[in-house]
Amino acid sequence: MFLKTLSVVKIKNVLLVTVPDDPSDKMVYELQEQVLRSLEKHRSTGVILDISLVNVMDSFFARTIAETTQMVSLMSGMTVVAGMQPNVAITATELGLTLGTAFSALDVDQAFEILNKALS
Amino acid sequence: MNYSNSNYITVFEQWEDQKKFFCFTEKDAENLQKLHTISAQSCDEVVESLYDHLLQFEDVRIFLSNPEMIKRLKESQKQYFLEMTAGDYGEAYYEKRINIGITHKRLGIPPRLYMGAYSYYVQLMLPKIYNHVDFDQKQAQELFLTFFKIINLDQELAISAYVHAVESVVMQQAEEIIAMSTPIMQIWDGIVVAPVIGTLDGQRTQQFMEQLLNQIVETKSTIALIDITGVPQIDTATAQHLIDTINAVRLLGSNVIITGIRPIIAQTLVHLGINLKEIITKPSMGAGLKVALDMLSIKTS
Repeated sequence: MFLKTLSVVKIKNVLLVTVPDDPSDKMVYELQEQVLRSLEKHRSTGVILDISLVNVMDSFFARTIAETTQMVSLMSGMTVVAGMQPNVAITATELGLTLGTAFSALDVDQAFEILNKALS
Repeated sequence: MNYSNSNYITVFEQWEDQKKFFCFTEKDAENLQKLHTISAQSCDEVVESLYDHLLQFEDVRIFLSNPEMIKRLKESQKQYFLEMTAGDYGEAYYEKRINIGITHKRLGIPPRLYMGAYSYYVQLMLPKIYNHVDFDQKQAQELFLTFFKIINLDQELAISAYVHAVESVVMQQAEEIIAMSTPIMQIWDGIVVAPVIGTLDGQRTQQFMEQLLNQIVETKSTIALIDITGVPQIDTATAQHLIDTINAVRLLGSNVIITGIRPIIAQTLVHLGINLKEIITKPSMGAGLKVALDMLSIKTS
């Protein structure tokens, strides 16, 4: 039903990363590694993190996303976080978690639009 | 019945303690039974006299205008009076007294009227106890004290039930107000409007935030207009709640425009040192809508 593993797919010049529903700390760390390696390999200019399946977000996950965004930006890429669930957003605000400089989008479609606008 | 959600009512679990609190003992229960003969003999007279007394007053006559109703009330009043000396002060007694308070509230009878009735009972019973041939001075005093205790207990139950009834109405209205005051609607493809009416406290913010975020996701709206024309006054707590809401909306990937900033609100925000710099603010909903349409590159002619 739900994904148990991370998927990083290259679409044109964008990396689409789909995060499983309840990512472990190990997987979150792996996410950063894989994204950066794929970015280097494919010379992508944009990264979309699809977190629409995630229903629990902890501070480690939030911090890793913020850090990864910074790293991607150092490698001249742009990151968009897509599809956060409303209850995750509420909890995140209550805990004071932010995604740093990452852009956010309602879904993957809109994430592509944001990237297209910014990169064209 | 379960009254555990109330802060004011004496719940049945507290009833035994309440009796102790009023120094009402087994001895008192026995004493009251001794008075039962007097009560039984004089209940007609007492109730008639009570109603004659009550009906002297203009405002009482407004409540008790229907002769049928008076007849019914007198009957239940007799019952009530007899139960006070019946010797059983368990759950049935408790329930009945609680219901009296609730019924009086429902009929709109102010508490002072039935509090007056209790006082009148005491006045009528005093000579009957003291002048009774069976009791000497000391016994009469003890019996009267007992009667006084049960009157006090009854009053307490009736009043706390009354307050409970008022409280439930207030609570119900508060819930309705909350539900009514946060309508969220989509006014354009990609734009939702959320007018805030009244002050935002913790509980309302939670509900408002939930509804707004769900609506944004459901309609895939990239812009949310939060209109605060209906917010009478803003304080640091309200502002913080507003900022929390905005942050949550941004995490989803939508933008927020705050509209309806009145002069008084602008003044307070600046005086309180609340920073809304990164948020687009507009004085009117119209102006906010225009910005939203521009952002979505929607042309209006």
